[in-house]
Amino acid sequence: MLNSKVHSILVILILFLIWEIFFHLLNLKWYLLPPPSMIVSSIFDNAHLLFISLLTTLEIAIFALILSVIISTGFSIIFYFSKFVETTLTPITVILQVTPIIAIAPLISIWVDSSEIATLICAFLVAFFPLLANTIAGLKSTEKNHLELVSLYGANKYQVLRFVVIPNALPYFLSGLKISSGLALIGAIVGEFVIGPISGHSGLAYRIIESGYQLDIPKMFGAVFLISLSGIMLFNIVRLISYLVLRKWHSSYQQID
Amino acid sequence: MGLRILSEKERQKNIDEKRSALIAQLKGVSKKFKSAKSESLHNINLEVYQEDFLSILGSSGCGKTTILKMMCGLIKSTEGKINWPTSNFQNSSENPANLSFVFQEPNLLPWMNVYDNIKLPLKIYKENSYKADEEIYDIIKLVGLKGFEEYYPRQLSGGMSMRVSIARALVTQPKVLLMDEPFSALDETRRFDLSQEILKIKKEKNLTVVYVTHSIYESVFLSNRIYVMQPNPGKIFEEFDFSNQEKPEDYRFTPQFFEQTKIVSDSLKRAQNAK
Repeated sequence: MLNSKVHSILVILILFLIWEIFFHLLNLKWYLLPPPSMIVSSIFDNAHLLFISLLTTLEIAIFALILSVIISTGFSIIFYFSKFVETTLTPITVILQVTPIIAIAPLISIWVDSSEIATLICAFLVAFFPLLANTIAGLKSTEKNHLELVSLYGANKYQVLRFVVIPNALPYFLSGLKISSGLALIGAIVGEFVIGPISGHSGLAYRIIESGYQLDIPKMFGAVFLISLSGIMLFNIVRLISYLVLRKWHSSYQQID
Repeated sequence: MGLRILSEKERQKNIDEKRSALIAQLKGVSKKFKSAKSESLHNINLEVYQEDFLSILGSSGCGKTTILKMMCGLIKSTEGKINWPTSNFQNSSENPANLSFVFQEPNLLPWMNVYDNIKLPLKIYKENSYKADEEIYDIIKLVGLKGFEEYYPRQLSGGMSMRVSIARALVTQPKVLLMDEPFSALDETRRFDLSQEILKIKKEKNLTVVYVTHSIYESVFLSNRIYVMQPNPGKIFEEFDFSNQEKPEDYRFTPQFFEQTKIVSDSLKRAQNAK
């Protein structure tokens, strides 16, 4: 496990090295494709600016994620109890899902004054659906045998939920959360691209636009690099949570020894 | 007196004589599932007496499990009545502590360890008055799971999981244990060991057991009464009673055992072809 991680980091480093070598060998223009060394030094040169932007983007992505967790769990439990609500509301969630966020973002920016909240809404709309769909699938996939077992002992609705349905849905919820963590970041970036800089301290998307205006390509690469980095970070945090919650009993963490 | 087939008259006489020991009685119970074209069970008449080890023997798909599930209220019968004269619940699980069910598979909750799985019925049944840990540990010891309390179901073998399932059924101190082919997935040795233990536990706790099985050997070895079922639709074909017979220690290896196995086996064969 650890070994394969070391390997993949090594491969990335080698790719960077090849990139660096080819840049010098082929005499490429730095303003078209800057070498990794230049990107890294640009990140350090603009450290303060980029760091604040990173925080802004992360903040929006994480807030959107938390919001999707709360709302999708709430909705899926309501859906679980009421078939009527589910059949009525599902088409609406699907419509929201299939309409590209880029198409809705301008509308949101018209309706909502604060660009920060508008971006947050974009990120939320993108992150919400996979989480909802997965959690509902999880709640519905409860084994009939398990339900019979608890009803045999006269469990009430709340006990059925607590002892059987929710634990059973957890792995589904967590794999939804993995997808949503990436999507929340995408939503936060796309939202800012369309809606414009977040007032006060712009996010990373605006840094990319800004670097484009200034023809500061190394900084642009730096911003992109930081976006990937924060995506990886978010994903790994969710993976860690998922590991801590499921490692003892779920088959995906089966120890082979 | 060995094993014998009861005639309808003898059956009626039995009911009259042992009325006070009658624990459960199915009267003309039929079941037709909504999705099915015809009845799955037709006119089942069946009595369970106190401290019986009653086997319901039949081929797969003849409705054995449905009978058990109707007895504990998981499935509603379409016709007929299920009476529990000595207890205050009627055709439902209003008094779950009196009755426990052992499923065909261990049916453990994978997210709970052995201890929590066993404790589950108590958590549901009397949410606020948890039984003393000691009593739970006693049961864990009884089924031979000591030292495995912290294990999760995925770490257990089939036989161990079944033991957990039995412990969970026993934890509510039931009077009646309904078992649905509990050992069908185990190998011969395990099955024999666990059958032996079930007999021991039954004796120790004065349990009444209703045991559904397709194994002729198991039913003859374990029970004092056997109902042989015929399929399509499920009906009681014949009833055997060998309550009056002492089973020696090594019963399984006596000529008597083989003889009786043959009688029951013949009955099951005839049941397959019966109309």
